[in-house]
Formats: sequence, C-alpha cells, structure tokens
Amino acid sequence: MIGLVYKDLMVLKKHLRYYMIFLVVYGGMTAAGMGPGILGAVICIVGMILPMSSIAYDEQARWDKYAAATPAGRAGIVGGKYLFALAVIVGMTALVLLCMVLLHLTGLVEDSLADLVLIALSCGGAALFLNAVTLPLMLKFGAEKSRTISMGLFVVIFGGSALAAMMLKRQVKLPVPPAWLLNALPVVLALLAVGSLAVSYCVARAIYERKEL
Amino acid sequence: MKYALEIEHLSKDYGSFRLEDVSFAIPGGTIMGLIGENGAGKSTTIKCILNLIRRDGGTIRVLGMDNLQEERSAKEAIGVVLDESTFHDTLRPTEVGQVLKHLYKSWDAPLFAQYLDKFGLPRKKTIKEFSKGMKTKLSIAAALSARPRLLILDEATSGLDPVVRDEILDEFLTFIQDEDHAVLISSHITSDLEKAADYVTYLHRGRVAVQGAKDELLETYGRLACAKADLERVDPALLVGRRVGQFGCEALVKDRRAFCRLYPELTVDRVSLEDIMVFTVKGDVQ
Repeated sequence: MIGLVYKDLMVLKKHLRYYMIFLVVYGGMTAAGMGPGILGAVICIVGMILPMSSIAYDEQARWDKYAAATPAGRAGIVGGKYLFALAVIVGMTALVLLCMVLLHLTGLVEDSLADLVLIALSCGGAALFLNAVTLPLMLKFGAEKSRTISMGLFVVIFGGSALAAMMLKRQVKLPVPPAWLLNALPVVLALLAVGSLAVSYCVARAIYERKEL
Repeated sequence: MKYALEIEHLSKDYGSFRLEDVSFAIPGGTIMGLIGENGAGKSTTIKCILNLIRRDGGTIRVLGMDNLQEERSAKEAIGVVLDESTFHDTLRPTEVGQVLKHLYKSWDAPLFAQYLDKFGLPRKKTIKEFSKGMKTKLSIAAALSARPRLLILDEATSGLDPVVRDEILDEFLTFIQDEDHAVLISSHITSDLEKAADYVTYLHRGRVAVQGAKDELLETYGRLACAKADLERVDPALLVGRRVGQFGCEALVKDRRAFCRLYPELTVDRVSLEDIMVFTVKGDVQ
C-alpha cells in the first residue's frame, strides 16, 4: 500500500508543485481582504482533484490492472487511494493552517487564531466527506464518469455554504440549531467526516472486489 | 512432477464469449506457450489466473497455492508482464523500482539495476521517452526483479522487432534454468513459441483445441500437399482442416506417421504451430 501511495506522489508531483502556486495566490487573495475562507477552500479543491487525478492517470496507464496483479491486490489499490486522499488532505490542511497563521502573525488577517484553526479543520473535514462520497463512485465507474457527480457535489456544498453566509449577512432569519448542537458542532462534523470516510472505505472495498479489471 | 501452474476446468461466461473447460498444467523448469487467434480466450485465462476477473468455474493453483484462497502468497510468486506498458509515462525506471520494492517482499533492487543496464534502459529518462521495445524490456526487468517463480506474459512480445523479441526470449530461457521456475507466454506470434516453448496450449473459441509438448505436436501433425483428386480419396477423419486452391490442395494431418502408412504415395511435410492454428480454424469453418 505504501508503494501505491508513493507511486501516486511520484506521478502527481508536478501537480503538487502547481498547487503550491495556487496556495500562494489564494494566500495573496486572503491578505487582500477576501477572508480566510477562500484559503480554506484550497484544501477541498486540492483534496478532491488530486485523488480524482490519480485514479484517472491509473486508468490511462492501465496501472490498476497491473497493481491488482501484484501482491497488493484489489485491497491494496483501494487502501492506497484512501491513504493517498487522507495524506493529501492532512498535508494541505497543515499547509493552509500554516499559511493562515503566518498571515495572522503579520497582521494581514484579522480573524482570531481559534477561528482560523476552525476554518482549516472544517475545510479538511469537508474534503474528507467529499472523498467519502466520490472515491467509491470513481473506483466503480472510473474517474471520467464520476467527475460530473463530484463537481456537482462540490458546487452543492460550497454553493450552499456561500448562500447560507450571504443570508446571514443580510440578516435573513434562519432556523437556529439548539445550543448543545452548536457547541458540539465541531466534534459532530469531525465524527461525520471520519465516520463517513470509514464507511466509504468499506463500501469501496466491496465494490472493487467485484469489479472486473 | 512439480507444477508451477495447474488450471482445471476453468470457465468464464461473458455472454457473447465463453471460456469453457480450459485445463492445463505447466511443469517446473518449462515454458508454456498459450496460442490462439485474437479473442480465443488467452487474455481471459491470464486474467483469471491473476484474479483480475471473476471466474465462473474451475480451479487454479499457482505453485500449489489456490489463487483465490492464498492470493497474496500466490501473487508474490508471480511476475507479470501485460500486453502494453502499465507504468505511468511520467515515471522514470528508478521510480518504478522504488514503487515495486514496496509491493514485493522479495524485490531485488540490485537485480533490477542490473537488468536496466543489461537492457540499456536509461535511468533518467521518463517512460514516455521510451520506445515500445524499451517499455516491454522495463516491464520484463520489473517482473524478473520481483524474483518470481512463475512468469506470466500476456502478448508481451507482440509489436516488437525480431531482435528485441529474440533478446527477450533468451532471457526467459535463462530464467527457466532453475527447475522451480516456469513461464506462461500468451502470443499469436507462433514462431517465438516454436523457438522457446516446451509445451503449447492452443485455445480456439474459448476451448482447448490442441495441447501437448511442442516437439511432440510438431512431430505428430503433418501438412499434406496434394491434388484435389487425391484429397477427395483421403479419409476425412484423418484430417483437421483443408485449403483447396486452383492449383492444389493442402490439409492438416492429425497423425503424420499413421497417415503415411495408409497413404504412402502422398507427401506429408512437417508443420509449424502456425499451420496447426490456421488449419484448425479452417476445419472449424468447414
């Protein structure tokens, strides 16, 4: 499985470099006053695109057939993809958080450190959830067919969040969740993200076991 | 006798195509050629061995291990070369080695480096800069460096020039010097198998049409060349397939010696594996 994650990193290392530039640009936008949320979105974008690209490249090279013929087998392929997605999301969350802290320390971002941590972790959690939904689909139908569904999901989640934020700004009265839920929200969301990824992994294993390569 | 691979009554139904009751075994220290026309079931058989597709029936044992129950151990013992390069174009040979050393317990990095040198594969070039022959050599270097006991090649030599094919076949002959090693090569380039294979299994329309030791098959079968009138008086049961032309006829004889005893006046030549394939298909059409 480690070999498969290493392979993904090797194949996508050029992309990783591009995303670092992406991070710098979004960091600049945040510093220009667009808010730290836009930097947090980088976690979701990269966390979704890289696993999707790795599956697409595997299909293109027919690597999936070869990898399934090695001792890693089908279980290794699925495990490798989840581990890679997890590594990308954790890595990006850490980088974005570092970027946010640097911007905070230089006074370019006014939000508190606690808020910045919360934004980064929420985006990391959202990226985990997105992968939990899209990875089984991509392993079942291939990256190309699943792309539309994944993008649709991305638009729904972030469009929905942006809409809610806009409504709050315009002081539209939205139903207020009970206080205990609001207090427990970070934990609930974290559990939802990790739990959905665990369930998704089991579903993907079952799907890939039956797939004809 | 120790078998590197034993397949019994293998079947797989795709609806439009069926692999039916395929059985064969490869003794250690030998090369088995799996021949057949396109779509005969060669790749389906190999995919079943590697558990890339679900079989509908039959058993497969790799070095005595069930390929499904003991999949990981069986795959540790198999080196695979599929019909096209399966490594990403952006990787370099050294990176391929780095990836595979984590996938195979028995990965031999110095041996991989030796093969890269032997095959003249530049370490710093990406795979997309390689020719088809170089890509195949890299796949073979990777397969052999996993220190397998069974090497499986699916149409690996197709599309390569004769010099590269010859070089690769020599490598397989060296590999089977160890009695524990065996090779399964699927190919429709029968001349390669005539050179290297010890056993041949000919698949035709998803079934085993001809099977046996290559030398024995080439010795037993014969190629009759005669006039149309002569062909008409030959017992059809002795023939597999025939080709009737304007100036003469040809037919594949099942048992050359028995045929010569019955028809001493007719000329029966030695056959090639290609003759066996072509005439079997023609016999099927008739």
